[in-house]
Amino acid sequence: MEIEGLKRRFLNLDFDERSFEVQKEAMLEFAAACGETAPRYTDPAHADFQAPPTFCARFHGRRMLPGDFPTLGIPLDAGKAVMPQQPIRAGVKLVGKSHLHDIYEKTGRTGRMIFLVSRMELYDEGQALVSIVDSRLVIRERPAA
Amino acid sequence: MTVRRFEDVEFGAELPAFEPDTGIENVRRFARAAEMMAGRFIDHAEARKEGLPGAIVPGVMSQGILAAMIHRWAPDAEIVKIDTVFRAPVMVDEPHRVNGVVTDLDAETRSVEVDLTVTNQAGETRVLGTARVRFLG
Repeated sequence: MEIEGLKRRFLNLDFDERSFEVQKEAMLEFAAACGETAPRYTDPAHADFQAPPTFCARFHGRRMLPGDFPTLGIPLDAGKAVMPQQPIRAGVKLVGKSHLHDIYEKTGRTGRMIFLVSRMELYDEGQALVSIVDSRLVIRERPAA
Repeated sequence: MTVRRFEDVEFGAELPAFEPDTGIENVRRFARAAEMMAGRFIDHAEARKEGLPGAIVPGVMSQGILAAMIHRWAPDAEIVKIDTVFRAPVMVDEPHRVNGVVTDLDAETRSVEVDLTVTNQAGETRVLGTARVRFLG
């Protein structure tokens, strides 16, 4: 599979949109389980109470890849990057829009691996961008039959 | 030791390491909050059915633990970006340690780069990453 062709066909096209509601209890439990100690994440009475910055990494779209993306193998979770843009407050409703942000390859001892970066951009009700979450998926290319 | 100002950060400084709670009850607590109640995270027997040696900590939880370490070190700082690579499973009910070290300072943006790791008892790195952290003070 030719990487440049995949890029031309699939990059930067939204393939999924999903709504989420940020609940205070989930924010607090997420923070506590991760060992957060900063009061702005652990104390709902704090003037700047907000979700931990990686909270949005828990949101998933309905699909990981565009519906017509070719089957290259089983995609495995290779990592996540989160770029918070605005504090996320309790009760806010978010819309996550997903697109493929990058496609690249690496060749190792066991053959070629294809990396797909699926980016979800999360917007609040005022259309302000509040967080960007990149999910890296790796597909080990199947040997030719 | 905590830091409040960019000027107090030194190149090569190590963040205060800590041992996160990777016990099954705490992982279940996280899984409920994150709506990630998959068997491989919350039940050793279910994880073994999937071919794993036991339940594993969700990658998103490992990332949250690393962010918590940054906030313990610099309570007022903002994480601009945190990028993690899930190299190998973090096993539930096994002790792990999280570490961080400052690898770059940028006076113009008052931000620092931190290298992050989650290691198991054998000293094997299970999760690694970097974070860009901005100081407001």
